[in-house]
Amino acid sequence: MIVFGDTAIDRLLQWLRASGEPKDVRELLVQYLEILSKLVMEESE
Amino acid sequence: MTATTGTLADEVWRLMTAQGILFAVDAPIRQTLQNLVEFFVARWQRDPESVRAELEAALAADDRFTREEVNGQVIFVTSRQGRYVPRDTTDTHTFKQRLYEPEKPLPIDDLSVVVSTSRPAITTVEPVYISDYWIEQARLIAAAKAAEQAPVTEEPAPVAAASERAPVIAEQPVVEAVPPVDAEPAQVAPVIAETAEVIAEPVVAAEPVEAAPAPAQVAPAERSTILVVDGMAIDLSRSPAEIVAKYGPALERILAERLEQDPLRRIVSFGRMHYPEASLISFGKNDLRKIRDYILERNEPLLDTEIIADLYYHNPRQSDYEGFRFSLNYRLSREKDFEFVGVEGANVWSTKGLPAIGSKRVKAAEMGQLTAYLIEGFDDSLADQSVESIVTSGSVTRLLTFFEWEFGVLPLDAALAALLPKPVFPDQRSAVLRFESPQHFSTYLVEVRYPTGNRGGWLQGLEDFFREHLVPGALITISRSEAVNVFTITYEEASETTGRLLTLDEKKNKFAFANMTFYCAVDEDLLPEQNRYGKLRNLKAFPMGERRKAEMILEHVCETMGERGGSREQPVYRVAFADIFMAYNVLRPASRSFLLALLANNPAIAPDPAAEGVYLFTPPQVETEAEVAEEEEDLPIQPALRRRSGRYIEEDE
Repeated sequence: MIVFGDTAIDRLLQWLRASGEPKDVRELLVQYLEILSKLVMEESE
Repeated sequence: MTATTGTLADEVWRLMTAQGILFAVDAPIRQTLQNLVEFFVARWQRDPESVRAELEAALAADDRFTREEVNGQVIFVTSRQGRYVPRDTTDTHTFKQRLYEPEKPLPIDDLSVVVSTSRPAITTVEPVYISDYWIEQARLIAAAKAAEQAPVTEEPAPVAAASERAPVIAEQPVVEAVPPVDAEPAQVAPVIAETAEVIAEPVVAAEPVEAAPAPAQVAPAERSTILVVDGMAIDLSRSPAEIVAKYGPALERILAERLEQDPLRRIVSFGRMHYPEASLISFGKNDLRKIRDYILERNEPLLDTEIIADLYYHNPRQSDYEGFRFSLNYRLSREKDFEFVGVEGANVWSTKGLPAIGSKRVKAAEMGQLTAYLIEGFDDSLADQSVESIVTSGSVTRLLTFFEWEFGVLPLDAALAALLPKPVFPDQRSAVLRFESPQHFSTYLVEVRYPTGNRGGWLQGLEDFFREHLVPGALITISRSEAVNVFTITYEEASETTGRLLTLDEKKNKFAFANMTFYCAVDEDLLPEQNRYGKLRNLKAFPMGERRKAEMILEHVCETMGERGGSREQPVYRVAFADIFMAYNVLRPASRSFLLALLANNPAIAPDPAAEGVYLFTPPQVETEAEVAEEEEDLPIQPALRRRSGRYIEEDE
């Protein structure tokens, strides 16, 4: 079950922390979609 | 070990521990055999080979030394405490593991068992760490429950048949083909949905299958990539750029809202920017006091970048600059002593105690009511310029009315709203911009008051500029500059002109005409010159609180500016719309459409059938003395009558 805005937020947080600077919500969204996309692919494999 | 070798080993050990005198007692001290040989050969004046053999034998026999060979070179290792023993870095503490991953976990229905949702006695928001272990547990239990509820009774059958009967939960593979991206969510079976109860729609089976006690065999198949978010079907197999292009603003809003609702508050936001809460730089009370004092010292709202540069000497080239900047803004936004008065891209902060920007003669509450007509739909500022042209050209041109000139305010109409930046936060009250006059090399702080509820917005702070360089009727142009919070204000220059123009004598609180010289191009219809608009001096300078009564002001304007006709008992005032517009905008701001609506709705005012754009105002009849006396016969004793039939009442005194 994937809940948008809840699932894999820790991964998003990890990315944000690694980037070292604040990010615009648009960048955050693009990154989050990439994470979710990877997650779906991983689970399907 | 012989006495000789023991002595030699002791000497070597003393040498090496002296060499590593500042090392930790268990730290390795290394020395090559070659160095040791050279040292003793020089001291003993003997053959190197015999010294080497003696040293090797002595050190090999001593427990305090360990022999190593690195790249063919012999090295002896020891430590200050004797034989070198490598440090064991294995963490023997298992509390963390036992706490988060117990062997026999308590049964949980959902995460609320792990995390209390009740409000703590102290209202401080404390972050609560939920281990991934518990999140995984909750997910597994939900999946198990869903599986239990699923009526899986059919026999092993072909894939299509199995999927026909057995409802498949969200996490399970589904035999359905991936539906097209743009398909309606109602038509496809959204497999990855926001609820665990989402079940794949059954596929039409080739033949009916008899129920049997055998467990369901769900054939592995391709998993759907459709995610349903607030009714939007998002195909995660598409590139993020494509998804953002289609659903960007909605998804941004949902993501920001959900991050805001995160009980752990792991990611915090300021405007559109987001940052990990754990990475925030802390600002204490001393910092806040220092910032507040500095803003007060500068006597105007300041940019965050100025505060950082002047108080913290932080350089934008430093790697942590943006994080520091975000932390400062985030911290100030949570302090009630500071107010954000910036715009997107320029974070400006004001604090309590700063002088007000603009005229104090008009209060904010009064101005909000005077400009309420803009909210009520009587904004015709886009009649001459479209929003597109304003956005493209980056400038707005408008004529100045007497009220705007006198008080240095401009109603925030649709044209100006299209030019000026929008508020960053939904509850943002105002923004402070800098207006530069390239013709006079002067700068003015202008406060934009955004509309709230049924009150309109306006700009204030241009009083000095208007009074020094312009007259009512002047054509001004406001343009964007490269900086988002800096605008330019210009006007069309003209040759020197002198005229008797309307002014407000504040001491007497009366309108009067005075000689004025100006150097700007004006619209003659809005220039309050004595020759053309001599009756303006008869306007009553009502208190601002009274001026919000639009109908009362309209009747006063009609009576003052109109040509009196009719009879003595029933006068009729004939007044042109241009005069009404001019005089009305002396007392308060109004648009043409607002005035036309007022005129149309006033029962005492009617258009003159003989002339277009002219109105006839018939004031309501004043009661005569006889009528008043008749009415008052039955009333208790009243105060003495005034002349002109009025009574003295407390308010008059």
